[in-house]
Amino acid sequence: MDNVTKTNTPILRMKDIHKSYNNFQAVNGVNLEVYKGETVAIIGPSGSGKSTLLRCINRLERIQKGEIVIGGEVLCSTNENCKVVYVPERQCKKICQKTGMIFQHFNLFPHMTCLKNICYAPVHVGKVPKTVAKEKARELLSAVGLSDKEKSYPGQLSGGQKQRVAIARGLAMEPEIMLFDEPTSALDPEITGEVLSVMRDLAKSHATMIVVTHEMGFAKEVADRVIFMNEGTIVEEGTPKEIFENPKTERLKAFLNSTLRI
Amino acid sequence: MAETWEYFLKILPALHDGLKVSLKVFFLTIIFAIPLGLPLALGSISKIPPIRWICKTYILIFRGTPLMLQLFFFYFFLPRIFRDTLNQLSPEMKEFVFKYILDALPTAIITFVLNYAAYFAEIYRGGIESIDKGQHEAAQSLGISKIRTMFGIIIPQTVKRVLPSVANETITLVKDTSLVYVIGVGELMKAAKGAVNRDQKLLAYAVAAGIYLLLTFLLTLLFKHLEKRFSKSEEQGGRKRG
Repeated sequence: MDNVTKTNTPILRMKDIHKSYNNFQAVNGVNLEVYKGETVAIIGPSGSGKSTLLRCINRLERIQKGEIVIGGEVLCSTNENCKVVYVPERQCKKICQKTGMIFQHFNLFPHMTCLKNICYAPVHVGKVPKTVAKEKARELLSAVGLSDKEKSYPGQLSGGQKQRVAIARGLAMEPEIMLFDEPTSALDPEITGEVLSVMRDLAKSHATMIVVTHEMGFAKEVADRVIFMNEGTIVEEGTPKEIFENPKTERLKAFLNSTLRI
Repeated sequence: MAETWEYFLKILPALHDGLKVSLKVFFLTIIFAIPLGLPLALGSISKIPPIRWICKTYILIFRGTPLMLQLFFFYFFLPRIFRDTLNQLSPEMKEFVFKYILDALPTAIITFVLNYAAYFAEIYRGGIESIDKGQHEAAQSLGISKIRTMFGIIIPQTVKRVLPSVANETITLVKDTSLVYVIGVGELMKAAKGAVNRDQKLLAYAVAAGIYLLLTFLLTLLFKHLEKRFSKSEEQGGRKRG
């Protein structure tokens, strides 16, 4: 937390977020502020609403109550009639482009080479000239250690390599906040390391990251702040030290016990 | 044997003329129906209800009634329904309309296009909907517009998946072209039937069968080649690892 100054306005502010599917309350009144350069890990049992919360940030899920402000711009807010109002579509898109997302199942475009996967959005959305985008894409590929794979198709890569390409693709749009939705959950344990190390480098370069993860080791080591969610609410939050060494709530203690036992 | 060969050569010109018409129906149907199916498919999954209803109703009607009945309908009933409008046209215009729209062959082709577009639309729809939701989400998270997502990311992935079904439908079309004789178009089947009736010999049917078989065989080869080509670039060893 040393390099994060809390006096700044947060880069992400979520206020009283509610989201439910049918009758299931996935997120139930969550407040969250994230500051520039901070790495926040969200942990919790499955079904606790952590992925849903993350997906609300870039509008993959629309909230039913609350307010989301990204980089000082309001994405959506709740009016006096208790209805959530999103800003007009164009603005929404612009605001959401401040975020980039990494998915559990990579979601690379299988019909494009790695290089094209990375270039596609900058060229077609960011209107970056093709040569510039390619140059940048190569840099990103080398940053994730996959310079030799630019002509490969996703189908020819291992899971860990796919996820690294996906991270490069996300970074290519130069987002202010990177959202990671269980980035290593679909990987074999022995190759999670290569993805985590890329993320560790990213955190060191003071990127703002929100990471939903089951990797307690990663949360402990890399996160500036850890948030523990259960049943749609934030039960406890604090520095990794506070969360892992000195859990206050019974629920967190039980959760940590069960994860450590495995 | 020499006699059979001689007879074969005798009926060949008529069969050849018939084949030309069959091929015309086939190719024009493919050329127009394959692209026409796409807007119908997109319409049938549109988020705008009226567009969706129109496309779904269209598909329901054309898939839900016999092709032969549709041929009859367009050939016999349409000119009647539009009789009054037709009578108001100038003689030249009327001649044009009869020659290029209401005549048996153009009617047959139009009917086939409309019918096959409905089938292709359903194949495309299935293909588009089979693409993982994650592809849409990844595109959205990168700020790629809905239209670009569809045309740049979803549809290119769909091509490979729909090819076998499109091949199947195309082969069915080869044989369906024989239906157009019901409105008097002289295609291969009609030519064969004419020869059989006239000469009381079955050879013409056998030759026709051989020609249909050859056509479907060539198409099978073509689609096999296409499938191979499309699977080469994409998802090579896609199931190698999760």
